[in-house]
Amino acid sequence: MSTQATDRHAIGVAMKRKEDPRFIQGKGHYIDDLAFPGMLYLALVRSPYPHAEIKNIDIADAMKVPGVKAVITGKDLDAAGLGWLPTFHGFDKQMVLAIGKVLFQYQEVAAVFAESREAAADGAEAVQVDYAPLPVVADPFTSKTDKVLLRPDREQKTNHIFHWEVGDKDATARALASSPRRIKERLWFQRCHPAPLEPCGCVAYFDTMGRLQFHVTSQAPHVYRTALALVTGIPEDKIHVISPDLGGGFGNKVPIYPGYVCAIVGALKIGRPVKWIETRTENLTSTGFARDYHMDVEIGATEDGRVTALHVATTADHGAFDAAADPSKYPAGIFGIVTGSYAFPVAHAEVDAYFTNKAPGGIAYRCSFRVTEASYAIERGMDILADELGMDAAELRSKNFVKKEQFPYPSALGFTYDSGDYQKTLNLALEKIGYKQLLEEQAEKRARGELMGIGISTFTEVVGAGPSKHFDILGIKMFDSAEIRIHPTGAGIVRTGTKSQGQGHETTWAQIVAEELGLDPQTIMVEEGDTDTAPYGLGTYASRSTPTAGAAIAMAARRIREKARKIAAHLLEVGEADVEWKDYKFQVKGVPSKTVTMKDVAFAAYTNMAQNEPGLEATFYYDPPNMTYPNGTYVAVVDVDRDTGEVKVRRFLAVDDCGTIINPLVVEGQIHGGLTEGFAIAFMQEVQYDAEGNNLNTNFTDYLLPTSLETPHWETDKTVTPSPHHPIGAKGVGESPNVGSPAAFVNAVIDALSPLGVRHIDMPITRDKVWRAIQEAEQSKK
Amino acid sequence: MNLEYRGTEQIPAGLDKVWTFVTDPEKVGRCFPDVIDVVVQDPTHFDAVVQVGVGPVRGKFKLKVELMPDAAKHRLDMKVSGGGFGSAVDMTAGADIAESGPGATTLAWSGQAVARGPIAAVGGRVLDAQAQKLIGQAFATVKERLS
Repeated sequence: MSTQATDRHAIGVAMKRKEDPRFIQGKGHYIDDLAFPGMLYLALVRSPYPHAEIKNIDIADAMKVPGVKAVITGKDLDAAGLGWLPTFHGFDKQMVLAIGKVLFQYQEVAAVFAESREAAADGAEAVQVDYAPLPVVADPFTSKTDKVLLRPDREQKTNHIFHWEVGDKDATARALASSPRRIKERLWFQRCHPAPLEPCGCVAYFDTMGRLQFHVTSQAPHVYRTALALVTGIPEDKIHVISPDLGGGFGNKVPIYPGYVCAIVGALKIGRPVKWIETRTENLTSTGFARDYHMDVEIGATEDGRVTALHVATTADHGAFDAAADPSKYPAGIFGIVTGSYAFPVAHAEVDAYFTNKAPGGIAYRCSFRVTEASYAIERGMDILADELGMDAAELRSKNFVKKEQFPYPSALGFTYDSGDYQKTLNLALEKIGYKQLLEEQAEKRARGELMGIGISTFTEVVGAGPSKHFDILGIKMFDSAEIRIHPTGAGIVRTGTKSQGQGHETTWAQIVAEELGLDPQTIMVEEGDTDTAPYGLGTYASRSTPTAGAAIAMAARRIREKARKIAAHLLEVGEADVEWKDYKFQVKGVPSKTVTMKDVAFAAYTNMAQNEPGLEATFYYDPPNMTYPNGTYVAVVDVDRDTGEVKVRRFLAVDDCGTIINPLVVEGQIHGGLTEGFAIAFMQEVQYDAEGNNLNTNFTDYLLPTSLETPHWETDKTVTPSPHHPIGAKGVGESPNVGSPAAFVNAVIDALSPLGVRHIDMPITRDKVWRAIQEAEQSKK
Repeated sequence: MNLEYRGTEQIPAGLDKVWTFVTDPEKVGRCFPDVIDVVVQDPTHFDAVVQVGVGPVRGKFKLKVELMPDAAKHRLDMKVSGGGFGSAVDMTAGADIAESGPGATTLAWSGQAVARGPIAAVGGRVLDAQAQKLIGQAFATVKERLS
């Protein structure tokens, strides 16, 4: 594998990340590194009650705490017209600070501004809030009864938020009814939290020109600027959003949180910069959670294992506000990808969402808008069907794959899959893991009563939101953009509307420019996150950066190449029609010895441009014609200890097909990270609430992150099926390992336990759940 | 987190003496374990500040207490609500007080409490044991002051 990118070849090279020296040496520039003269600190008073009426808020004692400058409450904000904030989904609003009542534990109730972080915390502790507890609704099934109405502020007097469906309901019901074989299972994809190591935070101040300077941990700085302009009434030109280095995001840094609004209000009211940095507990308990989908999955099949129909009915827990960060027309995200890699003749998916007294959210945790839930549903469902039919799980999948020659493939739920070769990917994975030998080993172990499992997931996901005819956030279409400037010496800068949180954009974007223009990627600087300088874009989440901004970069570079051709013609003293771009430089057609490089052209663009317009730069706004459909085959091999319930992941192989690979090293890093998160979700992570609405996972002793000790060794490989509609054929990969792996882990554990008759265990698969399942199975056999 | 307890205590003092003691907000307040301060608002209401430590969660709780005595039945009900450091506790307790012999009184009590916030989440595993210990301490103090 080549690790040296040059001006003759940059895409596909495993060059080391340009940003890493900065991070490795502790020179990253994060939000909490910022300090301004006179800066105040904000601390938030949060509710210990999940549902309660606020009788009174007494700030007198707080104002007496030395260093405290001001305290604001929901009433103050409401009076200023800032009491409520529209959620990104656009159909609900959320309290900035509680007005009248609180709806979830740790909800923001008051904001305290003080000279130091400590004084702000002391001030928050001294705010006296008089609560009158109300009945708590801690799950969507209780919510459904409407016995306790959670949101009297809404016009609809029900806890039901929306019903969404896609597909042919009647035809699916008929096909299921007439299918000789059927499976039905309720699968819960538990509530989990992305838990970026750096929590959320901001610094806000108004500069001498009265302009809001807003530094914030944001995956989508441009959308923040527009949303803040709409909410606060500050003209958009008077708002400057800067997102510095981010210590992880995974979707958690997409929404706008009450702390941000309070910091801006404080900066305006007091006339000094205000910093807000949330604690770990605040991050885990109040910012965007993920999943919490209860899915009833039903699959019909013929006796010989051909799928006939799929129906999935989901009950979704959205918490206190409908803050799911989904595109306007997609309240359940792109859950319609639930048919996965399989040629279902007919399907129907529906989602009903409910309010509960839990934190709001429903963001994508390294996932493209509910794709992980969908992928888990179908990949678990296929394994349950294989078990029901007594068929090999790989054989059942193979039999039902969308075939290579069927692409572009119109799915039963309305997607047009761009490309793929699922059989090839599966074959490579089975060969590489030694599937036959593993099956033999398993048979021997089963004969001895040992529990060994092999879990397969052959997922297809959908990323790159998205085409403007379908996708928007708050009405803003989900295109993305790039601006490239090539300097006289042939170095350059590229800016995009996306924002890296560890994805390695500083390296991969430079590689795309270098490849398209025949320049050295080491001399192409990448800048993101500053709304004054970067072109408008919707940001980085849902694996959309490469499908959208990556495409925009290639297209902007091609615009530069068109302009450069004119200058090259001038330098080569031929007509433009006689110049061709070949082998990373311009040459006179048929005369390989007469060439100029892009570097030569760049210098001429500023020194010797003849009648051409000076300079060498271009901007491109890319509206993708379709989504991209990364896919893969993951195989997990586990051993389960019959006496203790302990699961050991012995091997895990990920074969990914993410189309053209820009940088194999970056892709492998992404896969390792995503698999580690998928492993955590499968075995460790759950945000639990007790019946009284207490959040029980408020810190890293109760909400677990895997360390190198728990994390299995990852084996990876690839197939490459380029996307036919993307300028460089790339599909995106960030979320694939998180989307595809949970089902592989769970399938492996259930495969291990299947001789005992265990059919399903909900994640996280902790050892006590496994132990109980074994005990129950053994008891029932006695 | 819901907690529920009940029990019967033998107090080596006469009924009238016990009744006078348990309906006096200052005296009752001072029997709260690890009490720092008691401020009596009126004959049936007082505020108390207590030191609380459950597992790693430690700090001060500010509590509002209401006494609801029924002299005719010798029954005392009590409502406690408050909290601190982001946690909250709401408790109701009741006691039936009866003479069990000369200079001896029986106090049959029960109480329910709901704990919320870090004290329930982080302290959840040890909260029950801690609560039982505090109840024990409270009655030991009552007995000591009355005997």
